Amino acid sequence: MSPVARRGALALGGLVVALVLGLTLAPRTSDVVAVVVLAAVAAGGGFVGSLPTVRAERPALARAMLTVVLVDLVLFATAFLSVPTDFNLATGAGMAVVLLGLSFLTGASGQISIGHGAFMGVGAFATAIWANHHATTPIVVTLLISVVVGALFGLLLGLPATRLRGPYLAGMTLAFAVAFPAILSSFSSWTGGDSGLQLPNSATAPHWLVGLFHAGTPTLTTDTLWLTDIVMVATGVAFFFMANLFASRTGRAMRLVRDNDVAAELVGVGLPRTRVIAFVISAAYAALGGALWTLLNNSVSPATYGFALSITILAVIVIGGIGTISGAIIGGVVYAYSTNVIAWFVARTGLNPQGNLASQLNGIIFGALLIATMMFSPLGIAGTIRHLRQRRALARERGDLRGTREGPTLAPESGTRR
Amino acid sequence: MTDAGVEALLEFDHVSVHFEGLRALDDVSFAVASGEIVGLIGPNGAGKTTAFNVACGFVRPSEGHVRFPARGASNLRPNELARVGVARTLQGVGLFSRCSVLENVMAGGQSRPSGGVVASLLSLPGAARAEKALRRDAMAMLERLGIAGVAHRLPSTIPYGTAKKVALARALMGAPRLLMLDEPASGLDEAELDEFAAHIVELRQTMGVLLVEHNMEFVMPLVDRLVVLNFGQVIATGTPNEVRNNQAVIEAYLGVSE
Repeated sequence: MSPVARRGALALGGLVVALVLGLTLAPRTSDVVAVVVLAAVAAGGGFVGSLPTVRAERPALARAMLTVVLVDLVLFATAFLSVPTDFNLATGAGMAVVLLGLSFLTGASGQISIGHGAFMGVGAFATAIWANHHATTPIVVTLLISVVVGALFGLLLGLPATRLRGPYLAGMTLAFAVAFPAILSSFSSWTGGDSGLQLPNSATAPHWLVGLFHAGTPTLTTDTLWLTDIVMVATGVAFFFMANLFASRTGRAMRLVRDNDVAAELVGVGLPRTRVIAFVISAAYAALGGALWTLLNNSVSPATYGFALSITILAVIVIGGIGTISGAIIGGVVYAYSTNVIAWFVARTGLNPQGNLASQLNGIIFGALLIATMMFSPLGIAGTIRHLRQRRALARERGDLRGTREGPTLAPESGTRR
Repeated sequence: MTDAGVEALLEFDHVSVHFEGLRALDDVSFAVASGEIVGLIGPNGAGKTTAFNVACGFVRPSEGHVRFPARGASNLRPNELARVGVARTLQGVGLFSRCSVLENVMAGGQSRPSGGVVASLLSLPGAARAEKALRRDAMAMLERLGIAGVAHRLPSTIPYGTAKKVALARALMGAPRLLMLDEPASGLDEAELDEFAAHIVELRQTMGVLLVEHNMEFVMPLVDRLVVLNFGQVIATGTPNEVRNNQAVIEAYLGVSE
């Protein structure tokens, strides 16, 4: 079967499954329409986006299609999730946005930030503060404003970063993360001090949106849950832009600087400029993630954006696979489900949910996972998968050259250089 | 020096470099014009690498100027070279280790005009088109050098001689008028040396070439002129034949090995 035919068959199969699932679970007429629309978009988008000619000739279109399909499938899936799980998934999506930014900074440009929890907090508070002063601003605009504020903070800290390398830059971002709670409390008239801020009268969902996204189960037409959809869509948009960036000239400039800064300068890449751009984009992404969290929770608390969050972010991206887009998404999913897993664990072991151990379990589990990742697959989940695929392709190529299908043993290529 | 009427691409004008009392370069003057191949030779520690690094802006001259008269520029920073049509290869291969061969070659076109960060982010049509053209040109360059087959491999997985060609392909992607080669012959076998020499001779039609090299058998038949450095000073310039018979050069350098 040719690759194109196989893709077509896959898309058709997906369409049928989606239709059957949707029709059995969503018996009302309006929902049926929504389900059909979702399924058709998924099948058509998947088919068009995966066509080899589209991928070669219109890579941005292929990426857009892929994004639409992914977001579409997630929205479709959330229709069948319980409300808390949907919320956790959206929280993980917000985290994935932050991880995209961090993955870009570290993986593409080779810089490291230990302060992304604080940049996230910048976006989170920017959203809350703006919403409290301008209640009528549309959500999209508020999010954009938060992104700009995050980018400005990134610029502020990124400019000195052009002169700092390695541990010194990490130290500076560490200082920002540690100082952030103190900064919040010294501007308590703006930030609400220790109690944080509530968003004003929470907006209600337009009905067409509820109908389109949350087909089916009646619990999902409650007023607040449409916010999870906004978060998913925003994450999709962030994902699309980041995929563009990774594949673009700007993304390549980052990788060149990371791999060999002398050779990068010789092909015309300005080192300070490239480093600042990476830092600003990364901070803007972190701020968007924080803004989405504020939106989801309808409030923001300074306790959320303490130093521990920065460490968690770092742990999750390493587990997912630093430097890759898929690693950020995997990290987001891991983060989303950690809440569920911990709740399950607490219930099974009969721990006191309010007790010391239960409240620290988060850190213990991520710490253990981080150590395990560093020991057994330092490239993270995504990096390891990619590495195995490259090895297999190379082995196949060499096997072909020798007229055998058996690949030679390859020395593991170092993925942790620099 | 260069022929009258032909404007120099690169000109060292009484360049000196001092490193805390050590004179790495001492009042060095020479020029490279379009269409000529100039070899920069000398014993170890003579200042060849320093001369290259001054030309590329990695080291600032303590005195004098490095000029690019054809573009009216002088004492450039390393990342400004590509824009004035200067490309340089590095000792060894100097490739980007975690980027594919194709991407390494595409990097050579990094200074081509393009829309910037926002265009990259949104994948605007102009930026996407430029990227596609760059990919196509890089592929054509790999084909021209006969190494298109390794386009999607990582540099660490290809033979050394091939990696050197990738480095050359990357340098040529910027359509340079001056090509600076830092020890192009090192690590190559006989057949690869011949092939490399043939490429360089072909390139002379469109650009000037300045190369630093230890391998005299490779340099002598290839270059039009030699500049011989010793202890940071130019001790001789001229055609390979003139230099071969120069007493100072024989004493300083060639006499030892021949």
